[in-house]
Amino acid sequence: MADRETATDPLKHRVYEELLSPSELFEARSRSHKIPVRGQKDFLPSGSEQQTTRLQQSLDEHWTLLTEERVERLGNLVKAVWIPDERLVELQSPAGKFWQTMGFSERGKQYLLPEEALYLMECGNVQVFYRDLPLSIQEGYERFLSRETVTLHQYQVFGHLKRLGYVVNRFDSSSVPSTYERQLNLPASSWDKQRKQLKRKRSGSPVSSDKQNTAPEEKMTTEDQSEELVKTDPRLEEPMQSTDASDRTWWMEADVQPSPAQAPSAAPRWDFSSISFPDLGSRRSGCVSLASPDPSLLPGALEVGGCDLSLWLSRVNVKQEKLSRRDRERQRDRDRYHRDINSDREVRHCRNWAEYLQLLEDRRRRRQKDRPVHLWEQEVTPLTQPGQCTSHRELLDQISIIKSSSWSEGVSSLSSSDQWKISFDIYQPDTVAEFKKSHPGKPYTRMCVCSFDGPVPDLNAMKLLSFQSGDVPVTFAVVDHGDISFYCFKDFKLPTDAY
Amino acid sequence: MDGDPAGMNASPQSSSMEVKEDMNTQTESEHQPSKDALIDISFCGATPLVWKVSDMKRCRSAGVIGALVGSLARQPRQNVRLGRPLELLQEEALLLEDTSTAAASLQTQDCGDEETHAEAVRRYEAGLESSYKEQCALALEDKKTVLRRIMNEKENGTDDCGSAIRDRLNALDQAFRFPLPAMAVQLCTARAGFSHCPEERSFHSTDWPMPRDERLNTRFCVYRDLRNKGFYLTSAGKFGGDFLVYPGDPLRFHAHFIALCISMDEELPLCDILAIARLGSNVKKTVLLCSPKKCGETGNDESVEGDVVYSSLQWSSMV
Repeated sequence: MADRETATDPLKHRVYEELLSPSELFEARSRSHKIPVRGQKDFLPSGSEQQTTRLQQSLDEHWTLLTEERVERLGNLVKAVWIPDERLVELQSPAGKFWQTMGFSERGKQYLLPEEALYLMECGNVQVFYRDLPLSIQEGYERFLSRETVTLHQYQVFGHLKRLGYVVNRFDSSSVPSTYERQLNLPASSWDKQRKQLKRKRSGSPVSSDKQNTAPEEKMTTEDQSEELVKTDPRLEEPMQSTDASDRTWWMEADVQPSPAQAPSAAPRWDFSSISFPDLGSRRSGCVSLASPDPSLLPGALEVGGCDLSLWLSRVNVKQEKLSRRDRERQRDRDRYHRDINSDREVRHCRNWAEYLQLLEDRRRRRQKDRPVHLWEQEVTPLTQPGQCTSHRELLDQISIIKSSSWSEGVSSLSSSDQWKISFDIYQPDTVAEFKKSHPGKPYTRMCVCSFDGPVPDLNAMKLLSFQSGDVPVTFAVVDHGDISFYCFKDFKLPTDAY
Repeated sequence: MDGDPAGMNASPQSSSMEVKEDMNTQTESEHQPSKDALIDISFCGATPLVWKVSDMKRCRSAGVIGALVGSLARQPRQNVRLGRPLELLQEEALLLEDTSTAAASLQTQDCGDEETHAEAVRRYEAGLESSYKEQCALALEDKKTVLRRIMNEKENGTDDCGSAIRDRLNALDQAFRFPLPAMAVQLCTARAGFSHCPEERSFHSTDWPMPRDERLNTRFCVYRDLRNKGFYLTSAGKFGGDFLVYPGDPLRFHAHFIALCISMDEELPLCDILAIARLGSNVKKTVLLCSPKKCGETGNDESVEGDVVYSSLQWSSMV
């Protein structure tokens, strides 16, 4: 019948496209939020009535849960727009609670990364529009996930961890402090924050590109920008403002023209014998104040007065170390055979390094005369001599044929791999309350996403990843058709000393 | 849902060609446009996904289980129970294509026609407007019902309050306000088809973005054979195998076998066999080593019984 067709056509369209009617939307306010618990499973299908009914019940429950659509109050939704050229989602209404751990600001606007936006769409917090029409979750998956942004596997890991409460950020290889920086124990300064904000804009994907290739480029651009920033940021300029314009140009010029030819001529010759380096750590020195240093040693017209040390000395820990009984015993064992090199008369007679090395060589030759010829003059010689070692560890070192290697050995010669890349930084859920996006701190772990279809990471890959990650452990998230397992490798040292 | 959950009674050939009807829809199948006849598979990279519930029901009645990988609409912030989309194994997608039950929608392009797009936007906004008006009316009715109920309760007690409420009720038509932010809005899971751009669909797996190699062919042969025997299969990566084989629907039954797919000429080291046998005995499942005897590249071969050779492993003691 004609009427029925036109009447049912929109209904058919609605049902097919899974669209809810306004009355259904209205009723959705009072929907239950509980998930029914799954019952016990059976072992063998018996074709019994009971089994069939229970299966039907489970299936009905299953379909009910899956058919439910997301219905939200329009006022609770944050409106956003997808920008394909930048592969970012721009917020058009104020962000909600999620802003504490997700998203970033730039040029006065608020943005979300595609994986963050898709996760928030799935949670029902954000409605993303593209060309004035709202995107469905399916369209979100199709448009936001790609090799250039985040792949489906990576997004599954991202979603899994976010649902558990972790904070998940994209990995940025330049945010890992180098070994040198870690040695210096640099505190996170505002400098770091500036660099981090710039990096957030530039990092296109969690796939970190070759560190060797991009590091110099990025460093140069950050330096350019840093020079501009130094001009404007008053905090960084405090030590500089005390000097006059000529000093500033001196500093800048050195940066702009780092040619090595000029360096040696510019470096001053220092007479170390006339420069005193006071020993402040030793309790015997009793030094209470430092005189003002020679102005010729200071850059430019910098003036430094005398330094009162009492405040600093009170901070230096000069307490006797309290050792436990076992520690004291251990120290006694170690020192039992310890000979102070300065108590050796022959060593005291040496006036310089050359004489000392000659003394060592003479001693070595004398020792060799004691060695039995039938052992030491053959092709195969013993690994050690009696009396040569003073501890188990030394002995084991000498007789070991296979030398143990450390995790970080040979890392610099490794080339980065296309297959093994760190995708995310993970921060623990209990740190969410104090989490600051501008200064997230050291992550709990870093995630590398792979699948059971691919190869198991080999030593090469593991060394490379742990090097890229710095001092943060790396976890492998293995995705198998929706199931995610996490694996990590722990360093282990074989004990070599027996106490 | 038909009352044949395990699919045991349906013969293998007929189940694939029938178009299963969803019992919940009142409409008849003869007026459905042709595209509804096939399950829609959309690809995210090389992974096949199914989004519509009706498609998922049809998959399940064909014995294809898949795995849910999205957030559940009712409670999105938990991992115990996940929601749409349904991720299919490559073998499952191939089976659906093989039995002509599914077609893939390839990369959707932006609707180039400005006019159609503008029309779609107008229609969407008009839809929102009418939804808002309808919800206003519903909210007003709801409020009136609530007030009437309170009034009736009050009238059984003291009637002073009752008159106040009656006044409120009468004034409601003028005084009631339903602000726009209070309106309920749907966030669609599957593509809602607002822009009505013609979708490009592919019926042949050779066009699909799935890399076909020797290993996939072996696995597909085994999958198809076990499926035709009436078993349900899911992925078994965590059990060290290729598939977990269930005698009935995985919602209700435990798996009996861990299937490992090896081609006839592939060598398997003895220590691997020991490892998988140990694993199987620990999880109380029988390990099946499956090898297809001969399997064509295009999969056009008839699925004959005995196309795949099975060997099971069992620890037994020497007497």
